[in-house]
Amino acid sequence: MKSIFKFSHEPKFENPSLIVGWDRDAGQLGPKVIEYLNRKINSRIFCEIEPVDFFSLAGVTIEKNIAQFPEGKFYCCERGFPQGRVPNDLVMFIGSEPGFERYRFLDGICDLAQHYCRVKELFTVNGTISSIAHTNPRKILAVYNTGEFQKELQNPGLEDMNWQGPPAISSYLLWVAKRKGIAGMSLWTQIPFYLASSKDFQAIKLTLSFLDRRLNLELDFKELDEQIAEQNTKIARLRHEDSEINRYIGALETGLSLSEEEQLALIKAVSEFLEKG
Amino acid sequence: MAIRLYQEPELENSIMFCGWPGIGSIGILAIDTLRGLLRAPEFGQIEPWDFFEPQKVVIEKGLLKDLEFPSSKFYFQRVKDKDVLFFIGQQQPTEERTRYAQGQKAYQMANLVLDMAERFGCRRVYTSGAAVTQIHHTVKPRVWAVPNNQNLVEEVKRYQNTILMSQIEGRGDQGVITGLNGLLLGVAKKRGLEAVCLMGEIPYYLQAAPWPYPKASKSVLEVITKILGVELDLTILDELGQRVEQNIEEFLETLYSTEAIPPEVRDEIEKLRYTESMQPGPITEEEQKKIMEHIDELFDQGGGTFEKHL
Repeated sequence: MKSIFKFSHEPKFENPSLIVGWDRDAGQLGPKVIEYLNRKINSRIFCEIEPVDFFSLAGVTIEKNIAQFPEGKFYCCERGFPQGRVPNDLVMFIGSEPGFERYRFLDGICDLAQHYCRVKELFTVNGTISSIAHTNPRKILAVYNTGEFQKELQNPGLEDMNWQGPPAISSYLLWVAKRKGIAGMSLWTQIPFYLASSKDFQAIKLTLSFLDRRLNLELDFKELDEQIAEQNTKIARLRHEDSEINRYIGALETGLSLSEEEQLALIKAVSEFLEKG
Repeated sequence: MAIRLYQEPELENSIMFCGWPGIGSIGILAIDTLRGLLRAPEFGQIEPWDFFEPQKVVIEKGLLKDLEFPSSKFYFQRVKDKDVLFFIGQQQPTEERTRYAQGQKAYQMANLVLDMAERFGCRRVYTSGAAVTQIHHTVKPRVWAVPNNQNLVEEVKRYQNTILMSQIEGRGDQGVITGLNGLLLGVAKKRGLEAVCLMGEIPYYLQAAPWPYPKASKSVLEVITKILGVELDLTILDELGQRVEQNIEEFLETLYSTEAIPPEVRDEIEKLRYTESMQPGPITEEEQKKIMEHIDELFDQGGGTFEKHL
């Protein structure tokens, strides 16, 4: 069978952790977490999944004026290691959800992780839309593929998820990883619904903070803190200018729910306000 | 892509019956009812992930417990002097947006099923599906039989309430069997294995309905029980058939009374009520097309709400 991988170089790994994000995600959580990590820890692409078997390549989609193309990229980091950490102890994958042959795509990710990188654990990072206000603390809902990994990682900042229904791609990946004996966890960070189509920097920071602690990454959050402050200031300005929007967010802050019409009005107002800067 | 066996039964000269979803669930209902009545135990399955998408994930207290896929299972039972194999698939492997099996995955699935048939000494395979035709839902459906080998024609002619394509007016011996029912016949032919497809008649105005059509499944099972030389109590299909028929009557009555379909379409359907199975059809192709335009649209819009009553 032909290989689905295209290597640009072949780094050596020492039992790394794998972090997986998907390009279309609520609050852009997955892509922004991977992007932040890539930038802060000096990573580079070492392998890509060839798209031809997994996506309809009958043209390209256009989003926000820009032509898009499906991706599936693996990154490795080449950090300095003053505290004696081993090199290449982190692999990241950012990809588009495949349109076809999803099992083969996910099996491929796990195969490369297991047999080439020899990963010891896998994390998927995802946003989950919630009815909380952006000023409320977000929770991370957690899903593990083994009880042992759950015991090892459980901490007060995580809440165990309960769900029965159609599986998200990350749950499918977690299941494939389990079959191969790779311990895995999905992080589902809450995103206020009116930030789902924008970026939720607070949720991005919360997710990165978890990974920072778990993987001892020593991340610098200054840039993210500035983005959080800026976004909060903008929304505060919108609330000041628009009493209805202020009322909607105020209701969410006190745990009240909004009607569908109110929710749509809030989404529209916040998205447009953040977009125009 | 693999088959997982829980045991290796010693079978010889076996017959295999295959069922999967299709129009009116006629095939799967017939074969799965037979399997249930014969209490055939499961002994293996085709691993699903290369063919199907998972339908459901179960996450409890943070732990991923299970991912559920449509199943493709094998069963066996000894019936009098015959070893009988069953293959029951909950879904047909499709590619992109097709409703019935086609393409590479369907071909792989058909080959895996026949690998099992040959491994367990199977001498013949039966598939089952629907024959969409001009009959009324109150009429007893016949069974259309299509063998993959000229040598089987004489035998098939002796089956009760069964006709060959050449006996159907206006068909000119020809037709198409879509999905795995047809593909399996073809792949079996390629391997030199005998196969017959038994299709129960269903009124064309019900082909898009979300309900099963047990009356046709029963006709198919009556043929199969004769092939096996067994007598089985098919009351379960009679009961289900009566409930479905009542729902169809209520559904049509609602359409007629609310004038959701034009009176002339109603008249075309009602013509069939007093006609034996199509010999030749009491309505024209043009009339049939007109009826289908209305009925299919209605099932798409809201026919599904009747599903819960079944």
